[in-house]
Amino acid sequence: MEYKAPIESYPGVVREVTIGKGNKAIKLGGENILPLHFFDEGSRPNAPKFALELWDMKPEDWPEWGIEPFKDVISDPVAWGKKCESYGADAVCLRLVSTDPSVKDSPPEQAAEIAKKVAEAINVPLIVYGSADADKDAQVLPKVASSCSGMNLLLGPVLKENYEVVAKVALDHGHTLIAQTPVDINLLKELNVRLSKFCPLDRVVIDPLSSALGYGFEYTFSLMERVKQAGVIFKDEMTQMPIIADLGTECWKTREAKESKEQALIWEGVTALSFLLAGANVLVLRHPDTLNLIREITGGNGK
Amino acid sequence: MILIGESIHVIAKDVSNAIKERNSKVIQELAIAQAKAGADYIDLNVGPARKDPEEMMQWIVDVVQEVVDLPLSIDTMNPVAMEAGLKACKKRPLLNSASNKTESKQQMLPLAQKYDCDVVISVIADYGMPPDLDARVSSILEVVEHANNLGIPNERIWVDPIILPISTAGEGQRHAEADLEFIKILPDLLPDVKSTVGLSNVSNGIPKELRPILNQTFLVMLQRNGLYSAIADVLDEDLVRLARGEMEDITNLIYRVMDGEEIDFSSLSDKERDFVKTAEVIMGKTLYSDAWLEV
Repeated sequence: MEYKAPIESYPGVVREVTIGKGNKAIKLGGENILPLHFFDEGSRPNAPKFALELWDMKPEDWPEWGIEPFKDVISDPVAWGKKCESYGADAVCLRLVSTDPSVKDSPPEQAAEIAKKVAEAINVPLIVYGSADADKDAQVLPKVASSCSGMNLLLGPVLKENYEVVAKVALDHGHTLIAQTPVDINLLKELNVRLSKFCPLDRVVIDPLSSALGYGFEYTFSLMERVKQAGVIFKDEMTQMPIIADLGTECWKTREAKESKEQALIWEGVTALSFLLAGANVLVLRHPDTLNLIREITGGNGK
Repeated sequence: MILIGESIHVIAKDVSNAIKERNSKVIQELAIAQAKAGADYIDLNVGPARKDPEEMMQWIVDVVQEVVDLPLSIDTMNPVAMEAGLKACKKRPLLNSASNKTESKQQMLPLAQKYDCDVVISVIADYGMPPDLDARVSSILEVVEHANNLGIPNERIWVDPIILPISTAGEGQRHAEADLEFIKILPDLLPDVKSTVGLSNVSNGIPKELRPILNQTFLVMLQRNGLYSAIADVLDEDLVRLARGEMEDITNLIYRVMDGEEIDFSSLSDKERDFVKTAEVIMGKTLYSDAWLEV
């Protein structure tokens, strides 16, 4: 008897979320299949997107092979952002490291100014991450939201502790939110439920908090899998958002990445590929060689 | 449903202080309140009882027996304290608890035989908590056989599947489903054994005001599947009423969710909706979050 592989079809759809404005805009999510299950009924209209990150200050502790692709622009966020774009990134991710009270505690106004300049200089959408200090971000992110009003940044992290302050302002200025919870599907759902009271759910992207291979990676991996299963198979509206895997910084923090360039690139590359398998819709990388490697492996479109 | 009142518990600050200071008033008030609320047993959870285990246990059993006429559940990991407690009880006590751990089989189970008392036996094994239903079943079969060989008949054994918090990082719901199944199949596995659960643990770690409805709903579901008793918060009036079958509308509503019925919310009160949502979470139909009643 001839074997016929079963074909599944699922009731749930991941919401399609647009970030960026006008001809800079890109779409995330929209799939009604599990990650890479192209053999099932349904489709994934938008291939995963890749962002390259930059910092709002000159990094102190990056190994030289991390700095190398950006060494002429490392003190200039605007030029750095353009450089990321020139390497072929689908989006640019500005990380407001200097605003962290334990780093430089730089003022919200300065962060807002930098974000605006970077956003205006590039022709791809801008992702902005605050320092993840809940109190400081509650000051910084609203300022960024208003200086970049109407540009539809992907802005976060919006946390359980500050979502009321951050999310409302960000939405008023037409941005999309990164809802971040610490590697726990129950907390993740709870934050989305709270946001849903005043926020259209196609303005939210889930950040389950990514970690690097060997440093708790598997927790994030299974969590992403479960988010997709809950959304696509069980039609749970509160998990049907695209997922962002913010992995570059985590990978480059590892001992392995600091030991050699080869290890750093492999670490970031394998971590990124694995998150693709788990269903991440947008991945934040640090090194352009990683981006090229992933593009090569996936045939350019994340497949 | 046999209800074992859980309030005399060493984790409660006032209880642990009362034990330390031998303040009988606090302990007796809790015992009386639980007896009035409808407890069938009073649990005396004294924890590991490192200091003066015998004298302390003798004291607490005596002060409780002075004011209530109920059988006691002696709840400690310390076999010395356990023996002192069992000895002091006037009515046949419940030894709470033994398990499939080697140490427990050597030190606790023989006490149940020696004092001819009832005994809670949990599925916990030397390696810890059995990860799924099958592992729980094989663990309990092992330890009950051991107990039978010691001369403890099934009628004296109260099996405990160990309830875990439903909110633990996505794993809790899986456990709740396994608990329901375990209680359902127990009579086929071990005829004539009784069963019990530490009910309140299902809501451990969630906002305080949300704990009762989760405890209540889970109790109704477990009871339908044949649960014999529960160590529970008997000071929760609705919980006791549900256990006594006095809130039939709610009970039937929860049963309908268990039977897989799609419930039409438009005809329900807010309270009824909350019970439906809670039952759906426990069934694993919807993913748990602390905001489960708000969706």
